[in-house]
Formats: sequence, C-alpha cells, structure tokens
Amino acid sequence: MNKLFYPRLAVINIKKNSKTYFPFILTCICTIMMFYIMYAISINKGLDGVNGSESLKTLLSLGTIVIGIFSAIFLFYTNSFLIKRRKKEIGLYNVLGLEKKHIAKILCFECIFTSVISLTAGLIGGIILNKLMFLLLIKMLNFKVSFGFSISVPSIIKTLIVFCSIFFVTLLSNLFQIKILKPIELLKGSEQGEKEPKTKWIMTIIGLAALCGGYGIALNVKSPLAALNLFFGAVILVMIGTYALFTAGSIAVLKFLRKQKNFYYKTEHFISVSGMMYRMKQNAVGLANICILSTAVLVMLSTTISLYAGMEDLLKLRYPRNIVVTARETNKNQIQKLDETLDSELKSGKIDMKDKLYYLDNSLEVIKKDSKFLCVNKNTDKSKVSMIEVIPISDYNRLEGKNITLHDNEVIFFSKVKNYTDDTINIDNKSFKIKQRLDKPVDGLNNSMIDLVDTYIIFVNNIDDVGKNSFKEYTTAFNIKGTNKEILSISDKLNKKFSENKIKANAESAVAGREEFLSLYGGLFFLGIFLGALFLMATVLIIYYKQISEGYEDKERFEIMQKVGMDKSEIKKTIRSQVLMVFFLPLVFTVIHIAFAFPMITKMLAVLGLKNVNLFILSTAGTIIVFAAIYTIVFSLTARVYYKIVE
Amino acid sequence: MKLLEVNNLKKIYSSRFGGNQVQALSNVTFSVEKGEYVAIMGESGSGKTTLLNILASLDKPTSGEVLLQGKNIVAIKESEITAFRRENLGFVFQDFNLLDTFSLKDNIFLPLVLSRKSYGEMAKRLKPIAEKLGIEDILEKFPYEVSGGQKQRAAVARALITDPQLILADEPTGALDSKSTDQLLKLFSEINNEGQTIVMVTHSTKAASHAGRVLFIKDGEVFHQLYRGSMSKEEMFEKISNTLTVITTGGAANE
Repeated sequence: MNKLFYPRLAVINIKKNSKTYFPFILTCICTIMMFYIMYAISINKGLDGVNGSESLKTLLSLGTIVIGIFSAIFLFYTNSFLIKRRKKEIGLYNVLGLEKKHIAKILCFECIFTSVISLTAGLIGGIILNKLMFLLLIKMLNFKVSFGFSISVPSIIKTLIVFCSIFFVTLLSNLFQIKILKPIELLKGSEQGEKEPKTKWIMTIIGLAALCGGYGIALNVKSPLAALNLFFGAVILVMIGTYALFTAGSIAVLKFLRKQKNFYYKTEHFISVSGMMYRMKQNAVGLANICILSTAVLVMLSTTISLYAGMEDLLKLRYPRNIVVTARETNKNQIQKLDETLDSELKSGKIDMKDKLYYLDNSLEVIKKDSKFLCVNKNTDKSKVSMIEVIPISDYNRLEGKNITLHDNEVIFFSKVKNYTDDTINIDNKSFKIKQRLDKPVDGLNNSMIDLVDTYIIFVNNIDDVGKNSFKEYTTAFNIKGTNKEILSISDKLNKKFSENKIKANAESAVAGREEFLSLYGGLFFLGIFLGALFLMATVLIIYYKQISEGYEDKERFEIMQKVGMDKSEIKKTIRSQVLMVFFLPLVFTVIHIAFAFPMITKMLAVLGLKNVNLFILSTAGTIIVFAAIYTIVFSLTARVYYKIVE
Repeated sequence: MKLLEVNNLKKIYSSRFGGNQVQALSNVTFSVEKGEYVAIMGESGSGKTTLLNILASLDKPTSGEVLLQGKNIVAIKESEITAFRRENLGFVFQDFNLLDTFSLKDNIFLPLVLSRKSYGEMAKRLKPIAEKLGIEDILEKFPYEVSGGQKQRAAVARALITDPQLILADEPTGALDSKSTDQLLKLFSEINNEGQTIVMVTHSTKAASHAGRVLFIKDGEVFHQLYRGSMSKEEMFEKISNTLTVITTGGAANE
C-alpha cells in the first residue's frame, strides 16, 4: 500500500468533517494562544519593580493554571463529541476492510495534523497578540514599562508540553474507544441512546434542596466576613443544584406535564413536551455546563469591573490625604517624637504641609452581652466580635470645627448598627450617657471597618477612661505638593527617619496605594476579561456542537411528522420553540443565579472596600446585557447551521 | 361508487437545470371502488412509489388528475393539503415511521392531536381499534421496546384512528418476518371486510394475493390487472406469479 495512503486519508477525513473539525481546531488555536499569552505575561520581567507586581504575578500564574486545566477538560469534552459523531464512518472503514490498527493509524495521523496545525497557528497568534495583551495590561495598570517585541521561549516550551500532553491523552481515549467497540456497534454508534429518560425524584429533590440552600445562604448572609466564609459553600450548593435540576428536575417537570392529559394532548404542547424530554436527556449536562460557565463569566467580569472602576473611592477612603502616617500601640512620648520628626523632615526639605489632620483612637474588640459590651481576649471567635472605637472629643472638635464639651460620663455616638437604640452605652461595666448621636461618619477618620463588623464610634473626654488601652493608634494625614515620584520618595524618607528615631510608625502615600490597588484590581480585571473570553468561547462551542447534533437527530423526526400530516410551517414552529427553550434555559438560570448571588457579592466587595452598590448594579447589568447579546448572536448564527441540516 | 379515480397521470422528473428528464409515469388511469382492496405491483423503478406519493398528495403530477370522491386532490391548495391528508388518508409505511419520542399510544394519537380533538374522544376512538389490533397491552410502550410486527400494528392503528376514506400502504410487509406478515395481511383483510378501502403498493406476491384486485405497472403504465373474483388465495397467488413472470420476461399480456 502506498506510504501516503494513511496521511492522505486522514487529511480527507478532516476536510470531510470540517463542519465539526473546523470549530474544534479553532478552539485549540484559541486556547493555545491564551495559554501562551498568560504564561508569557506572568513571567515577563517588565513587570518587576512596581508596587504590587508580586501579587499581580501570582494572580497571572494562577490564571495560567486555570486556563491549562480548563483547556484540558474542554478539549477532551469536544473531542469525545467529535469521535461520537464519527463512529459510523469509522465503522464503515472497518466493514470495508480496514483493520482496527489501520484505523488507529488514521486517527494518529489526524491527531498529528490537527495538533501541528493548532500548535503552529496558536503559537504564532499568541506571539503576535502577546504584545497587544501586554500593552492592554500595562494600560490598565497604568504602568510605565519599557519593553520591545519579544518571544518568550519558556512559554513556548511550556505551551508545547501542556498541549501535546492534552492531545496525546485525547488520542489515547479515541484509540481506546475504537478498540472496545465492535464494527456493528461502530456502524450504529451515533444512533444509540434513544431510551426514554426515567424520573429521578431523589435527585430532583436533592437539586431543589441544594439550590434553595445556596440561595438561602446568599440571601441571609448578614456580615461581609461571613459572606467570605460562606461564599464557597453557596457556590458548590448552587452548582449541585444546577446539575441536578437540569438533568433530573427538567425531566420530572416534563413528565408531570405529560400526565396532565388535557394539557398534553394539545397540538402546541404534544410535540414540544416529548421532544423536550429527549433534548433535555441528551443535553442536560451540556446545558448545565453552559449555565455554570456563564454565571462564572458574569460574576467574574462584573466584580472585577466594579473593583477596577470603584478604585478611586476606595483610595479616598483609605487615604484621606496624600500622605497618611499611622502609629500603632503608641503613647504620648512616641506621638511627640513622631510629630517632631515629621516637622523637621518636611521643613528641611522645604515642603509645605497642607490640610493636616490628626487624631488618636483606641480600638476595642468587644462582645455584646445583654446590651453590655465586654472587652475580649484574642482567642475569642472573631465572627462574633464587635468594634468600639474611642476617640477624644478634642479631636472631634478639631476635625469637625465644633466646640462641644462633655462630662466625663457622656459620649457622642455614631454607629451603623441598626438596632442599637439605647440611651447609654455600657463598656466593661462602666456606663456612659449618649449625649448626641451622629447621623454620618466623621470625614477623615479611618472608617474602613464600619461596613465589615458592627462598629460603634464614641467620642469621650478621656480615652484612657474606656476599656483597656493597649491599641491606641495615632493617625496624622496631610497633603503635600509634588510629582508622584517626589511624594513616593518623601514617604520613603519618612519611614527611614521613623526607624532611625525608633518610632513605631508607618507613612503611606496615596500614590503607592494606587499602584498597589491598580496592580491587584487591574490584574483581576485583566484576568476576568481573559478567562471571560475563554469561558465564552467554550459556551459558544458547546452551543454550536449541540445545534449540529440536534440537527442530525431532528432530521428524521421532521420527515416522519411531515408524512403523518403536519405541515412544514407547523413543524418549523415547534422545532423553533424547542430549540429556543433549550438554549435560553441556561441564560435564564444564569440571570437568576446572579440575582440571588448579588447581595452576597455586594457584601464581599465591601470587605475589599467597595461600597458603591450602584456601581456594582451597573456593571452587573452591563455585563449581563453584553453577554446576552453575544449569546443571542451566537445562537442565531448556529441556528442557521441547524436549519440547514434539518431541511 | 367510485372512491378514487386516477386519470391520465403523468410524471416527469427533471434534474435541476432541466438536463436529464426521466419519465416515471407515462399514462396511468384506473379507479378504485369504495370498499375495494387493491394491490399495485411492479418491479423496482416501474413507478409505483411515484404513483403512491401522488395519491398521498405528497407529490404533484406533471399532468393528469386524481379524484377522491370527485374532488381533485391535485388542485388542493398547499396550505390545505396537510389537513386534507390528515382527514382523508391513512398511511402505513414499510419502515413504520413511528416517532421514537412517543409511546405507541401517543404515536397513534398524533393525527388526532394535530386535528385538535379532545382527549376523551381520542381515548374513545382508540379503544375498539386497539382491541381489534391486539395492542391494548403495549400501548404505553415505546417503539424501541416492541417487535416489528407490533410496531406495524401500531402504525395501522394510527392510520385507522382518523377514520380515513382510503388507506395507502407502501410495502407494509417489507420489514416484517413471515409470521408478522401473515398477521398483518389477515388484519388488512379484516378491516377491508368491514368496509375500509385499501390501496397497497407491494413487491410481495403473497401480500398481493390477499387483495381483491391487483394492478401491474410497467414502465409507467398500468400494464395489466387481475380480478380475484371467486379465486382462493392460492389460485390468486399462482395467477399473480405467472403474470409477473410474463412481465419480467418481456412477453405481452394476452388476457
């Protein structure tokens, strides 16, 4: 036999199956590209030396791992779809006289061709797009990095290793499938699995319970810290619920509908209900996958967009002035030294200090018991702890420009805790009368904890009167003029002086903070877009393959119905409604998932400092609309392929 | 009373750009009386499937007319044709054409559901038919769970349930074993005795020998026909097979 026989046959096969192979190769190329780019960026030296570059790199290498794992699962899944579709063709080869080892040879060649094509195209595309993506990242992070066009050899090697192994494993599974099948089964390969699905009540109930549990957690979570702890559990429950309800729940509902004789035996319902039953049986897992992937994409994008866009608010909260100096566990002596150092340092540099504010505060960790607060030691369960911040009234008067005098047993009070309406506050068995309640937090104070734990702020005559005073903290903040670089160097100089003079204090600049935030949230945003694109691509491909396989199966049904007396337009209508229902079900569930997750994610964002709920609503709604639009476009494009097959 | 009249039916298939023309039916004329059981025989390519498709209003003839109870079905508008087919014709196919997503019962109900009948009426109609065909016990089963003969009986039930003027059967025994074939032919004879008109296209001499009349088609024309009269099935069988021999060996018909 001609040496070129097998390779040629392999090429012919790929060409002949181009309707399914072309999207597969395209997916391979895209995943390879993404993997290469992500890894190349994560090891790019250009990112070194910027504030927060370490966390950014960790983030990006985590992204690389996610892309790798996801590509493996996804390519394996699509490959199994391809081979299932081709069983008949392979069976025919076998019947026509090709032995299984010959078929294996053909499959090997096919695998080699697709791998070589996708790796070459993927790497070339990756190398070209790498620069663009890096530019985008730099732009998002506001970095100023000089770099040239570069090819990352380590990334190429890693990409080759990862994807060659993926291709090799898929080839092995294909060969195994061929080996265990008999030719007669191969011939029938794609016509199996037409049994009516059984109703799985237990699974339906489990699914329902899991979904309700997940939603319940999301809705009932009180504190942001609890949200962080419970989020993972809620996600798992919702995932279980989604899979169980898509597979078992849908069938249970349809079977119930079928039992309603007067509903079922209506022209509009008759064909749809039974058709849906089989569609759901075959597609439930795929649809659940689409649903979960879409939810992941949307959550990721909406949160990262909000964080990125809401960063300035965050910075303002954390840095009321462009330099903030804090001294923890401090005392009078230290504070005096600190102020002196600060003054002399700024004077010697001839730097104007503007808008200076300073205050002392003492944070108490307390537990509320019968409307009394008790200070706690360090071993207490942190999730039950509340905070009391004690600040001298003199600082309050200065910050707010007021002149209030208090008796020793009086306080001015502020808290966001809703159900605290007492006229007094009792701390470690010492009772204080609340003279005045404030309705908004005082500007300039460090208010970052208010939304995380139950916090009570009291202004008193003498802060040593209240509780233990081991955590006294002195904060001073001020604005200085200068370029970012100058401000950075001043804060560095201050820190150096503090440690020289043995002052336990730390100067931070808003500039450095911005860089850190940018590299973290910008990195997250970048990763969100990247993974979002990957998941979206997966979703698109699953929809496409589903449409094709549906098409081939529906073709026969379509013909029979026509013979039995249904006219073409009627058939088209019922098929259309079924296809619409099947493919928009995941989208509907995705939106429901997100609606329920919303309160929980809002609380988690509060932990990260983002309190602008409107911004989050906006970005969530925006991403949902964009996603739904893309989904609809993909659907209508693939639907065209479907109708072509059916007719 | 004539139920079906076929006059000068002609069908020419041409390839898309009119290059090759194939004449499937050149000039077919015959009629079927109400209550008759007619078999149409002929070799592959003789035009019998084309004829049946035209009778079933699935295809349009190039010229000629088909009258069902005096109404020309060739002239029925496209939009009304499916409803017409559903109400007046019953079909039995070689490969059953049952939908595997439906139980046998739902398959049988399909034409009624399409005609928007109530469930009560459907159930009422099904009962005697299912009894007659001996499929009461398997109504809830799915096509893939039952034998070929059972599937074909379900298909017959589907054809009968609309109470059609005419049953058109296309090689109904083609995919059945000999026992199921016997059962089905017996069934056809029974429903014919009850007054149901049947037109059956078949290859099988045995199947045709059950009919009251056999039409032979050759090269797109009715070549010959045999009346059963008072002949027994065996005599009919012999007559048919003699005629087939004459047709295939190319002799002219003498009778």
